[in-house]
Amino acid sequence: MIPILGRTLILLALLASSGGALVGFASGARPTALGWLWTRRLAYAFAALMALANLTMEYALLTHDFSVSYVAHVGSRSVPTWVSVVSLWSSLEGSILFWGLVMGVYVAVATWQNRDRHPEYMPYAVGAWLACGAFFSFLLAGPAQPFATVLVPPLDGPGPNALLQNHFLMVIHPPFLYSGYVGMTIPFGLACAALLVGRLGHDVIRPLRNFLLLPWIFLTVAIVLGGWWAYEVLGWGGYWAWDPVENASFLPWLTATAALHSALLVERKGVLKAWTVTLVMGTYLLTILGTFMTRSGVFNSVHSFTQSAIGPTILAFLAAALILSVVLLALRVDTLAPEGRLQTGPSRDVVFLVQNLLFVLFTFTVLLGTVFPLVVEAARGVQMSVGRPYFDTMSVPIGVCLLFVMGIGPALPWGRATGRQLRSALLPPLLTAAGLAVLGFALHVRNAWTLLALFFGGFTAHVTVSELLLPVRQRMRSHGESFAEALGQAGRRGQRRFGAYIAHAGALLAIVAIGVSSTMGTSKEVQVRQGESIALGGYSLTFVNAARVSELHRESTLARIDVSKDGRPIGSLYPRMNQYESQREPIGTPAVRTSLTEDLYLSIQNIDAGSGTLGLLVLVNPMVGWIWIATAVMALGGFLALVPPWRAARQPVTGTAPVGAVSPGGSI
Amino acid sequence: MSTTPFPHAGPAPPSGINPWVLGAGLSVVVPLLAVLVMNLGRDPHSIRSPLVGQAAPPFSLAPVGGGAPLSLESLRGRPVLLNFWATWCVPCLEEHGALTAAARTFAEVQFLGIVYEDDEARTQAFLVQRGSSYPAVLDPEGRAAIAYGVSGVPETFLIDGGGRVLEKHVGPLDPGTIATLIAKAKGGPP
Repeated sequence: MIPILGRTLILLALLASSGGALVGFASGARPTALGWLWTRRLAYAFAALMALANLTMEYALLTHDFSVSYVAHVGSRSVPTWVSVVSLWSSLEGSILFWGLVMGVYVAVATWQNRDRHPEYMPYAVGAWLACGAFFSFLLAGPAQPFATVLVPPLDGPGPNALLQNHFLMVIHPPFLYSGYVGMTIPFGLACAALLVGRLGHDVIRPLRNFLLLPWIFLTVAIVLGGWWAYEVLGWGGYWAWDPVENASFLPWLTATAALHSALLVERKGVLKAWTVTLVMGTYLLTILGTFMTRSGVFNSVHSFTQSAIGPTILAFLAAALILSVVLLALRVDTLAPEGRLQTGPSRDVVFLVQNLLFVLFTFTVLLGTVFPLVVEAARGVQMSVGRPYFDTMSVPIGVCLLFVMGIGPALPWGRATGRQLRSALLPPLLTAAGLAVLGFALHVRNAWTLLALFFGGFTAHVTVSELLLPVRQRMRSHGESFAEALGQAGRRGQRRFGAYIAHAGALLAIVAIGVSSTMGTSKEVQVRQGESIALGGYSLTFVNAARVSELHRESTLARIDVSKDGRPIGSLYPRMNQYESQREPIGTPAVRTSLTEDLYLSIQNIDAGSGTLGLLVLVNPMVGWIWIATAVMALGGFLALVPPWRAARQPVTGTAPVGAVSPGGSI
Repeated sequence: MSTTPFPHAGPAPPSGINPWVLGAGLSVVVPLLAVLVMNLGRDPHSIRSPLVGQAAPPFSLAPVGGGAPLSLESLRGRPVLLNFWATWCVPCLEEHGALTAAARTFAEVQFLGIVYEDDEARTQAFLVQRGSSYPAVLDPEGRAAIAYGVSGVPETFLIDGGGRVLEKHVGPLDPGTIATLIAKAKGGPP
């Protein structure tokens, strides 16, 4: 019953999306009111059918209906209800179904918001979204089949992947990631529409930018949540390993970040249109590449789902999408003629271009490092991995350069700067930069990259803070407002600009925290017996005892470690080892004590409760907590920079500049 | 739908294909796709079992439902089809019928199920409900599974009469695959 209902809903969604794609493209080529009406109706129908199919699966999971193949694969009567609910995205087939839900929501919202706007573009855009939707519906109807019927249903199922049950971050990481990945479909569709129409005007760049920014926020948070999860669960003490699947989420983030900046030049100056369209399309294609990497089993990774027929199907779609995109770009790119000229010489315009090139360079670097092992494997038949040294060596210089452009860009004026402007814009931050570098040198920092990072970091911090406060200071002077009043007013009037600089502040904080935590930590691997103490980095750790705990879905061994810092007791930590049903290898849960300056990280390597011996990995990681804070700041900045849709229609670009801005850095 | 005419509306400028964009795009896209296609179907997790060609690890395990332990040693002299399975494993359910039928057809081969990460009561209920034509033994601490390098179920090993591992099969079996495996044990076509 449920399997048939589910399959029917999927087939109807496939019908609605493929029909809607055809009607959309047809009414884009020959616009009629009726064609546009049906394009929209089919878009809403696709969204509703996907939502219903997801509800049906949730019902089957909650009622333990093992006649549904997906439930038979991941369901279990012995897991808590919340685990049943989130099992929807715990495994391959269900995650694609959930993907369909997220896609339906995006398509419905974007269609509804623009139902009366951009009549030239929208039928094409909705057509492109639904074409992508049709592919995922096909995947669900054919190769993935979450609703396949199990003829002889089992009495009970194995339950979802134990890693999912092990930590709440794994529960929220996939929804964020999908909201980031899937959301990139919307700007992709708009970019295709711009190419098909042969114009990328001010009207459509704004919804494009907004729908690029929204998934960018989700993707930013998702990437860091993934790292946070790895840190809190995997127990090796780090948060990023340049794992192929981590890279898969980082690649579209890089191109999306570049596109967010180049879209600003399109908006302000009418230049870099073809470039921006290429970046936006590349971002979407990289999300599909990432989907393939996670689901094909080609890449060896802690994240990857097992091998299946789904991999080749996604690869076929990726190939079609890549080649069609290249051909579409080649055919239509010359229609997106620039309306102005890119400024040369020292100006913000040029820094934007440099920033874009750096991000693209970063993208290619990571892509090459991810794919290279596959080339070697195919050519020589040996397994190899490029590993962290390559990525670390390559990303440090690029990161330092990005740190530099993030400061120099906002410091320079739009257009050509005069010598006097340059001096007054660059001298104060240069002093801060030099001060910080000298301070570092005095504190025995001798690594050239660290000193450079301090220099540029200081420069960028100065510029970012003064840009954030500039409109506030101007209002306090010209309107006689108090600091709080002026901050509120300036923030409200220049919300986009404000948001952008807050995002910059977050990025700066993240770079600093990553730099410090990856170079200045200490670690130690020890064997201790019950009652023994060890010392590291000012901490003294005592292994008090080990205890076994039984829960519904797992059995755990906990070690109680009493911690004192500089002789003062500061509490106990309980790292644990968990044994799940139907999983032979135990999974550890490290215990982390987070403070603003550093984390104390304890991870069990092995434990024998009987004899009272414990193998413990102890790390002191400085500033890791700031990475999570910085991400929240970046996300907040992103949200502030979203132009509310009810204002998007009439807000002129110049309205984002602070009142009476005279400074070179006056507007973004 | 808005009916206001579009301010910039006009014919799009004439365009042909831009050879530079096409060339640059394809030179990135085609090699990337080629690499992905070449690696498709390769499983980075699978390494051919080192046990193939070696002596099968010995074991002595208690049968489901009680009785004297059954050892691999005691089965010497005829080929053994060793199947690791569990009641919670859906592919195991799928292959159960085929295995039961094949154990009757190929009486010259000893079929033996090793129960992986499961309890005796559940297994016994399953066997009563679904029927069985060959013995199943319990591996409560997973020692046999570890010795055979089992990473999941179902996995099946074919062992010849001399106690040497001939072949390993990962995933569910169907009647055709079983026949091919057994033909290998007999050293000729089925």
